[in-house]
Amino acid sequence: MNILVCIKQVPETNKVEVDPVTGVLKRNGVDSKMNPYDLYAIETALRVREKTGGTITVITMGPPQAAGVIREAFAMGADEGVLISDRKFGGADVLATSYTLAQGIKKTGDFELILCGKQTTDGDTAQVGPEVSEWLNIPSVSNVCKIIDIEENSISVEMDMTDDIEIAKVEYPCLLAVDKDIFMPRLPSYTRKINTKDKQITVMSLDDMEDKDEKHYGLNGSPTQVQRIFPPSVNAHREMWAGSNSELTTQLLNKLKEMKFA
Amino acid sequence: MDYKKLDNEDLKYIIDLVKDADRVLYGENINEEYSHDELSDTTSYPDVVVKVTSTEEVSEIMKYAYENNIPVTPRGSGTGLVGASVAIEHGIMIDTSLMNHFLELDEENLTLTVEPGVLLMEISAYVEERDLFYPPDPGEKSATIGGNISTNAGGMRAVKYGVTRDYVRGLEVVLPDGRIVEFGGKVVKNSTGYAMKDLMVGSEGTLGIITKAILKLIPLPKKAISLLIPFPTLEQAIGTVPLIVKSKSIPTAIEFMQREVIIDAEQYLGKKFPDNSSDAYLLLKFDGNSTEEIERAYDSVAKICQEQGAIDILISDTTEREESIWKARGAFLEAIKGSTTYMDEVDVVVPRSSVNEMVEYIHNLYKEVNIRIKSFGHAGDGNLHAYVLKDDLSEEEWEEKMTLAMDKIYNKARELEGQVSGEHGIGYAKKSYLMKSLDPAHVELMLGIKKAFDPKNILNPHKVCQL
Amino acid sequence: MAKLVVNQSKVGNMQELISICPFGALEEINGELQINAACKMCKLCVKKGPAGAIEYVEETKEEINKSLWKGIAVYVDHIDGNIHPVTYELIGKAKELAEKINHPVYAVMVGSGISKQCHEILHYGVDKVFVYDDEKLDRFKIEPYTAVFEDFVKSIMPTAILVGATPVGRQLAPRLAARLKTGLTADCTKLEINENTDLVQIRPAFGGNIMAQILTPNNRPQMATVRYKVMDAPKRNQEEAGEIVKCSIESEKLNCKVEVIDIIPKEKEQFIEAADVLVVAGRGIKKEEDLAMIKELADLLGGQMACTRPMSEAGWVEAKRQVGLSGRTVRPKLIITCGVSGAIQFVAGMNNSEQIIAINKDEHAPIFKTAHYGLVGDLYEIIPNLIEQIKAGREA
Repeated sequence: MNILVCIKQVPETNKVEVDPVTGVLKRNGVDSKMNPYDLYAIETALRVREKTGGTITVITMGPPQAAGVIREAFAMGADEGVLISDRKFGGADVLATSYTLAQGIKKTGDFELILCGKQTTDGDTAQVGPEVSEWLNIPSVSNVCKIIDIEENSISVEMDMTDDIEIAKVEYPCLLAVDKDIFMPRLPSYTRKINTKDKQITVMSLDDMEDKDEKHYGLNGSPTQVQRIFPPSVNAHREMWAGSNSELTTQLLNKLKEMKFA
Repeated sequence: MDYKKLDNEDLKYIIDLVKDADRVLYGENINEEYSHDELSDTTSYPDVVVKVTSTEEVSEIMKYAYENNIPVTPRGSGTGLVGASVAIEHGIMIDTSLMNHFLELDEENLTLTVEPGVLLMEISAYVEERDLFYPPDPGEKSATIGGNISTNAGGMRAVKYGVTRDYVRGLEVVLPDGRIVEFGGKVVKNSTGYAMKDLMVGSEGTLGIITKAILKLIPLPKKAISLLIPFPTLEQAIGTVPLIVKSKSIPTAIEFMQREVIIDAEQYLGKKFPDNSSDAYLLLKFDGNSTEEIERAYDSVAKICQEQGAIDILISDTTEREESIWKARGAFLEAIKGSTTYMDEVDVVVPRSSVNEMVEYIHNLYKEVNIRIKSFGHAGDGNLHAYVLKDDLSEEEWEEKMTLAMDKIYNKARELEGQVSGEHGIGYAKKSYLMKSLDPAHVELMLGIKKAFDPKNILNPHKVCQL
Repeated sequence: MAKLVVNQSKVGNMQELISICPFGALEEINGELQINAACKMCKLCVKKGPAGAIEYVEETKEEINKSLWKGIAVYVDHIDGNIHPVTYELIGKAKELAEKINHPVYAVMVGSGISKQCHEILHYGVDKVFVYDDEKLDRFKIEPYTAVFEDFVKSIMPTAILVGATPVGRQLAPRLAARLKTGLTADCTKLEINENTDLVQIRPAFGGNIMAQILTPNNRPQMATVRYKVMDAPKRNQEEAGEIVKCSIESEKLNCKVEVIDIIPKEKEQFIEAADVLVVAGRGIKKEEDLAMIKELADLLGGQMACTRPMSEAGWVEAKRQVGLSGRTVRPKLIITCGVSGAIQFVAGMNNSEQIIAINKDEHAPIFKTAHYGLVGDLYEIIPNLIEQIKAGREA
């Protein structure tokens, strides 16, 4: 089976701050790493490949340094890597990002199974996967928490729907967004890292895409615009209640109602 | 020993002295946890617990206790494992947990001055926020620094950075008669008479009560990477350790672990470990200022492991990965505890060149004694933790088999020129093993030291060298 | 078309300018300043660099006619006709927004055999409920659901669409947004609307460490997802109001490649780390039997019981429910501690919880330093009373 995994490089920590003067994220000196949720997608791909054979390709969009996460995927066991990198892709929102990825995927090859992590730790939207599936015109399933069966033409999975588990069978080609903890991701292997250190990574820019219209990419292709970013208000509120036990009960009940827990 | 039994008058004196009734516990108000520590089955209640807040208070209490011949037991968080903080002779317990203030961070001398009740986890959070580092890293992060100093706690970074004693520059101590003295200071070098500060470190509350400590700090390494190395057998894993020690790059930690303990931890935490497919693992940690620097440092070690038959070398280089490994490592003690009804532990330390022999000996001991024994430990510094498990044995069977296993382990450690305790101390529970391992002249000196500090023997009696 | 243009002659001190970029997207190549693929178009180099060194060049886009788009639509989230309460919360928000711009409020319900259930929506004050009722739509499947929603948008042209950030909503909304080539903002915590019908969307990013305010200025419809329990639901009216509009599309558009084999109720979360609500039993619980009321309260609040170290050491509660340094680290939306003193060992395992309520008799208990709401009282009176009142409220 040809498996593709979408991955992303994110800052090592999401304890970021907003510069109060410029309103821009302070991220100097912050190390990068692979989005932790993507590790589950890679692990799922490796488990599927153990059963079906085939190849695993990873694809990422980002600056040249994002090649690091592809090397890491190699050290975990991925076979091929594609880096989509062009400054014209800068400032992309969900729509433009998913479009760019879909363009890159189309150029890379035909895949029966495309895997994504649930979300990234920086953007936190959990939307890129489903939007990619739309651009590729293939079915997609999110919240996949278990692979039940891998068949010739389809894959059966369990989806975590909060209160229920839904069991669905999806025809290839399809896209699955996997949940955290579907499998414990393996650690990258030093041996593999050494063996793959000269492995070629395919780099793609706008010129390599089928659609070369700049208007569809980056800031230009993004319908949403971030007007400003600001720090969240912190819950530093402390309050002590005194009174009879029955008064306290009433006060507590009202507070629980206000918080929508009761 | 003839001590005065604490009476109402003594109690009244103490309450008047402290002037805060909430900080003096007696009778029913003494919580059960004050009667024991984290592991040992040594149980005994104090007559009164005083939650002290100042050196002067400690001094006044000691003066009174000294004059009236009342035994005193100091205590921090009570996380010890050998009964050192249990009030065997009852009397007064001095709880230092409210003396938990940071007194001074001296960035010019790179020292931190703290009260004894500050917790280890609070120290690391406080200094790391300021890009500084207090390297000793015992597993129990809610222990007080006073307790850590009293046992000369070691922990996981000892291979590279040493133990608590190496990071104590100075101490303020209240002597058993109430006098307040200072040992050491902010100085880096010190040849001024006997090494009193070093004598206090590891004295388990028998020589004086620590009321202030000056700790040495170093700059915080910016990045840490761990290697988890699966081996086909425990022998191969442990056999590799001396070669790593010999190589020029120094990990901060060299730990070994076996699959069964990993599985206990997985069950205890309800979380999978990144790999449990092999029987034995080494876990190495390296720190430095950049990923590249650390990669260079571990490269030669990785090659040694490959040559010694490691199945693979797995890299843990992100917060999530580090947490999935070290959180499990930190839970081993609790996990093993949760897998049985009761257990006792040994904390022997042997020269690093003998660590493989000791580990294999313990590993095979269960066959000889027919009792479950689990072990893990700091392979890199020769300090091994083995846990003898009671499971569903009857009291007599347990007593018999446990004693046999313990004797055998300590005998083996002696044979390998090791010591009874690496980092947990002697306290009350391990005295007999200490006595067996020491030369009588050595014991005589220790008793003499104790007498010089505490002629009336009121401070933490029955501990360490007093049978 | 917007882009950044470097005017090499005005760059001045190149290293100084390079250091302005927080993303490392400026670099020197052959003596010239270049922008690489790390650029996020934050324009900080334009604002903070030497005047004219880097210019933001924008060609005006053709503006859309916003007045053609009218109404705020809410997706009715349901499984087999059981409507998810987030739907009413979104209707509440939609009404508030619609009132400001004088637009109607629509609901869209998709499913099979739902002609009865859709009437429930009319009790909440919407203008129209568009109902797609077809056997092929019996359960959520991404392709046919996207197809009918697209049909609705193309014929009705709402200016904004609100979708619950449920497992269904979080799949349907992005799929639809891509098909409509429009913007979608996930997990909004605050929504407002400008007079020109631009939806002001505020959402957390970086795990909640920053907030972003987002607009979709030149695309319609504007789409947002919102989590459950963020907005307020309106009161249910006794009377129905508004209109049911039956809709349908060609059957072949409903074909799909996903087959839902079964929906089974999920086993209750076993791990306290995954629970939204935790009720913690501390040493203030005197007897093992008394844990029953803690469990009952946890159940009533849809959460789990947890405990402190003494409780698990006494063998009253399983070790895996122990919170703290030697137990588990939890971060629920709500944690109620009952008779917990608040030793550092415990607090370190829970102090990142969103809302912390502590009940303890001792007003000096350290837990009150951590709690957002501290109740100095007797848990043996407060907890049973509370349980009774919650139950009474449910029956009413």
